[in-house]
Amino acid sequence: MNTAFRMLLESAGSTSESAIDRLQGLPDASAQLSDPDYWGSVGIMALTGILVVFLILAILIFFFWLMGTIFKAIDKSKAEKKASAEAAKKTEVPVVETETVSEAPQDDEEEIVAVISAAIAAYEGEGNFTIRSIRKRGDASAHTRSAWSMAGLSGNMRQF
Amino acid sequence: MEIFKSTFTGLIDSSGFMGLDIRNIIMILLSFVLFYLAIKKQYEPLLMLPIAFGMLLTNLPFTGLYHPELWNPSTNPYFAPQYVEDGANIFVNFTKETSLDYGKVLHEGGLLDMLYLGVKLQIYPPLIFLGIGSMTDFGPLIANPKSFLLGAAAQGGIFFTFVGACLLNLTGLGGGFTLKEAASIAIIGGADGPTAIYLTSKLAPQLLGSIAVAAYSYMALVPVIQPPIMHALTTEKERSVKMGQLREVSKIEKIVFPIAVTVIVSLIVPSAAPLVGVLMFGNLMKESGVCDRLVKTAQNELMNIITIFLGITVGATAVAENFLSWKTIFIIVLGLIAFCVGTACGILLGKLMYVISGHKINPLIGSAGVSAVPMAARVSQKEGAKTNPSNFLLMHAMGPNVAGVIGSAVAAGVLLSVLG
Repeated sequence: MNTAFRMLLESAGSTSESAIDRLQGLPDASAQLSDPDYWGSVGIMALTGILVVFLILAILIFFFWLMGTIFKAIDKSKAEKKASAEAAKKTEVPVVETETVSEAPQDDEEEIVAVISAAIAAYEGEGNFTIRSIRKRGDASAHTRSAWSMAGLSGNMRQF
Repeated sequence: MEIFKSTFTGLIDSSGFMGLDIRNIIMILLSFVLFYLAIKKQYEPLLMLPIAFGMLLTNLPFTGLYHPELWNPSTNPYFAPQYVEDGANIFVNFTKETSLDYGKVLHEGGLLDMLYLGVKLQIYPPLIFLGIGSMTDFGPLIANPKSFLLGAAAQGGIFFTFVGACLLNLTGLGGGFTLKEAASIAIIGGADGPTAIYLTSKLAPQLLGSIAVAAYSYMALVPVIQPPIMHALTTEKERSVKMGQLREVSKIEKIVFPIAVTVIVSLIVPSAAPLVGVLMFGNLMKESGVCDRLVKTAQNELMNIITIFLGITVGATAVAENFLSWKTIFIIVLGLIAFCVGTACGILLGKLMYVISGHKINPLIGSAGVSAVPMAARVSQKEGAKTNPSNFLLMHAMGPNVAGVIGSAVAAGVLLSVLG
């Protein structure tokens, strides 16, 4: 028998482990039933059984509660770092946006104009805007991100 | 003409009809009932159908697929040789052991005897647990470790029924249950098929057929059995409690979980290690993310193969002489009691936690502590949504649900370490 049980059963006192072993040796149920230690053993086994289940799961609770607390703390400090880093990034964003919005007539390619107007129409809703000018962003793009990288960034930032 | 006559009578004498007695016929009809439950009612069909077919095959006379006498130590005892050296001669003494003679099983066994070795030697249930582990997400339990308590409380049904089965001995009906048999019946309350089969094959293999049928039937009936108990024990206010969202669990936590559970549980109850250890091994393979091929095998092919072998051989143990007795009826009644008490214990602890937590825990998740995954959790979700349609308890109920799997494996380990 397992040591944890031996300790529990011995501490329970009234019914010793040997009584259960003796009962086990008896040939059938009626012989076991007529043993004077039968009900004591049954009661102790049921009680220690549920206690041991609770004990083990309580140990697991403690362990994972501890683990959870540690990981929550780590997550929190990570999130704080991330937040401060993103706050710094956020300040850049409006600058970039103003640059992309400022548009002037420099391109006479009708197709591009149509595509851009369609995109704005999809975004703003039809009839709510007038396109005065469309122009290529010149040197301004040199120190900013590409369109894909901007889309990714704004996608990441939207939730904050 | 004479030859034709003798051939014909020989054929009739060796046919199954000559060996049929009323008990075989009843068992065959019972297997038809199980076919109906599996196919039409879809009660755990993946296991019920193989169990029913095993039951049919084993009760057809002269098929020789399964020999119950080979699995009984009193009819097939092992004689252990002891060599005594006397000068130049060596004498062999044989002592009769209480274990089986597996050599004879291998020599004389039929197909289902061979497959039954996997049950008898406790191979299949842990392998099923491997598959379950590789499919289970313990995230909700890690996020809310308190769920473990509910998983433990629902095991109360097991120990209650253990005492109940012993009390039934006072009636003197059906020859009574030994302590080992009482423990095997009680484990039905864990609502965990592989665990019930594991424990029963060790403690009371003669009851395996009836216990497996009872366990799987009640698992299928979880949506019918649990709601009335849940309603009776909770108020509408308790049922409508909305629980806060669970925190996100990191990958490292999910990897540490199976390792830690294995170490802690195996150190305290080593006899639970075959079940809990393998369950956690499957889970670690999944969470580590580096064994995709192994995880796929464990979840699908291996699990399916073992389910077929386990089902058909467990069904085959339901031979008429074991199954058609008062004991089977008591097992079915006691199994139901075990299930109901387990559910009630989970809910009562849930109510206690509801009070202690300041009305933040919905007691309905307590009933999910019986480990029928994910059915019991779904029942909690459904009952919660009935009271308050905007309530989503599923993830909260998954915590106690998967804790129940660990809890019932631990309870089986506890019973084994005392009675094994």
